[in-house]
Amino acid sequence: MHVLVVEDDERVAGHVVKGLKGEGWLVDHVADGRQALFQVAAETYDVIVLDRMLPNVDGLKILQTMRASGDGTPVLILSALGDVDNRVKGLRAGGDDYLTKPFAFSELVARIEALGRRKGVVQETTELSLADLEMNLITRTVTRRGQAIDLTTREFALLEYLLRNAGRVVSRSMLLEAVWDYNFDPQTNIIDQHVSRLRSKIDKDFDPPLLQTVRGMGYALRA
Amino acid sequence: MIWPGVLRSLTLRLTLVYMALFSASVGIMLAVTYVGGVWRPLRQVEATITRDADALVGVYRAQGRDALIRALERRSAGARGRLAYHVLIAPNGAVVAANLADWPAVRGEEWVRYEFGTYATGTEEEHEAVVRDLVLPGGYRLLVGLDTEDLDEREDLIFEALSWGAGMSLVLGLIGGLVMTYAVSQRLDRINRAARAVIAGDLSGRVALHGSGDDFDQLSATLNEMLARIEGLVASISRVSDNIAHELRTPLTRLRAELEELAAAGDDPEEVRARTGAALEEAARLQSMFDALLRIARLQSGPRGESVLVDLSALLEDVVDLHRPAAEDRSQDFAVAIAPGLAVQGDRDLVFQMVSNLLDNAVKFAPVGGTVRLDAQPAGNGVEVTVADNGPGIAPDERSRVLERFYRSPGGGAEGFGLGLSLVAAAAERHQAELRLEDAQPGLKVTIRFRS
Repeated sequence: MHVLVVEDDERVAGHVVKGLKGEGWLVDHVADGRQALFQVAAETYDVIVLDRMLPNVDGLKILQTMRASGDGTPVLILSALGDVDNRVKGLRAGGDDYLTKPFAFSELVARIEALGRRKGVVQETTELSLADLEMNLITRTVTRRGQAIDLTTREFALLEYLLRNAGRVVSRSMLLEAVWDYNFDPQTNIIDQHVSRLRSKIDKDFDPPLLQTVRGMGYALRA
Repeated sequence: MIWPGVLRSLTLRLTLVYMALFSASVGIMLAVTYVGGVWRPLRQVEATITRDADALVGVYRAQGRDALIRALERRSAGARGRLAYHVLIAPNGAVVAANLADWPAVRGEEWVRYEFGTYATGTEEEHEAVVRDLVLPGGYRLLVGLDTEDLDEREDLIFEALSWGAGMSLVLGLIGGLVMTYAVSQRLDRINRAARAVIAGDLSGRVALHGSGDDFDQLSATLNEMLARIEGLVASISRVSDNIAHELRTPLTRLRAELEELAAAGDDPEEVRARTGAALEEAARLQSMFDALLRIARLQSGPRGESVLVDLSALLEDVVDLHRPAAEDRSQDFAVAIAPGLAVQGDRDLVFQMVSNLLDNAVKFAPVGGTVRLDAQPAGNGVEVTVADNGPGIAPDERSRVLERFYRSPGGGAEGFGLGLSLVAAAAERHQAELRLEDAQPGLKVTIRFRS
């Protein structure tokens, strides 16, 4: 996947670029708005990560310019302006997703990948698996070590999201957004109960445990 | 104190403007009276004299001097309402005929108004006449006139009225204006004094009321209300910032401690992972708290966001679905009654978070094996969503305090920031929804009433 990161803060940009390269992606970085407009016109990207507050040009301006010229590249807006109105404003300007600073790196990767999937860069599959855990997205069945596991609709959605992001840490708000389709920081442990129910179904009678709790960050499905 | 600023005073300026307007209206009234009562009659008199003069000149031309004299005498003897005057002077300066004691020395085709006295009744009588001065062929000079004493008197009356009226309105207006300016500036001064006290930092300063309930009292009462509100807000802001500083201390201290231990952990991978995890947990907690605070602040003072029609029934089913496991883990009876087809206008995520926060609290405060209820019904022209638990409830005098930021109920344990209900209150206000906290006997019952 070919990703452009538009971010003026050196340290944030360094952290993001390094991490995205670690995912095996091709990553370019520019630090200001004018350069970004130039780069977007010169190159073809699969996903663009766009900071809102940039020197010279507002991130939203870049987005509007891109959309006006017919460029439909998926854009993930990165912003320190984290309230609902700004989110709506960003999405209305043509953004495909919105992530508030500070963010967990795994969340950034998950969101970029979801955008890539939407664009068709990441292969859409009918089956997801991790170790001996298998999920069939067509028959909507889950097995572990060949044994069928009965899941509720929510649990299935939860597991699907975790499997799609296998190996990465997924935060509670990401799960709330992906599975329940509501966007806010739950602040309490309500998500935990759902995860622990899922865990009891996929991990309790099997070894090794796959669904892990990552302190201070969320959950990860790891072999 | 009043005099230097007196010319800048609005009241005085208004007084002067009124005086000018009043004088102008008196002037216009008198001018109209003058035109109708003096000017027009004078023109009529002149027209009559012109007619008379033309006729007299005609007589002189046709029949000569003696016929003219006879005509003049007939004219002065005829009763036409006004006394008729004439003077006929021969070319050598001798007076041929006259019924005037004296006459103006002007010569030529002129209109002359002049005054003279008569002594016909023994006492002096004032008269005024309008006279036309003509030169006849053959060098005779003829003056023809009519008496206009009545018009003269009327004119004098009008000018007298004008000078008195203008003078009195000036004097009274000035006195009234000064008195009014003084009275108003006294009242304004009270407001100024109170405002200056507030500017100087004493937020408890208030405008003293006069007690008459007049406009100034009403203004002062409004200002006092505003000051009270500002004082309350400032107090709550300083309380909140104190609280924020205080609340930040704990997670920051823990974060620092974890990082210090991490620095000292050396190469033990287990220890490093545990410390990193704990530090991240504290950082996440801090971020959560900031997000919640920012969100509340934006809800209270930020611009109004997008409002859409939210399928409330479906949304509530989702909230219930999210919280059911938590209630089941505490063996609580989760009773749900949601009327189908409910809808509200608002922000979907916010409505979800409001109800979610209420259910969080209900599950937390209801005892193990207790009951949590969620009801949603149409009520009047809106929708009521009620979340109730059978926990310890909240004492009536504590109910408004639980909506304050960082206030934690004594029984709630250390978990949570004490921001959940503040956010509910702010979000309810944003939706113009009414938030009620009541006794569920036992427990707490929270009702959000959305208007549609």
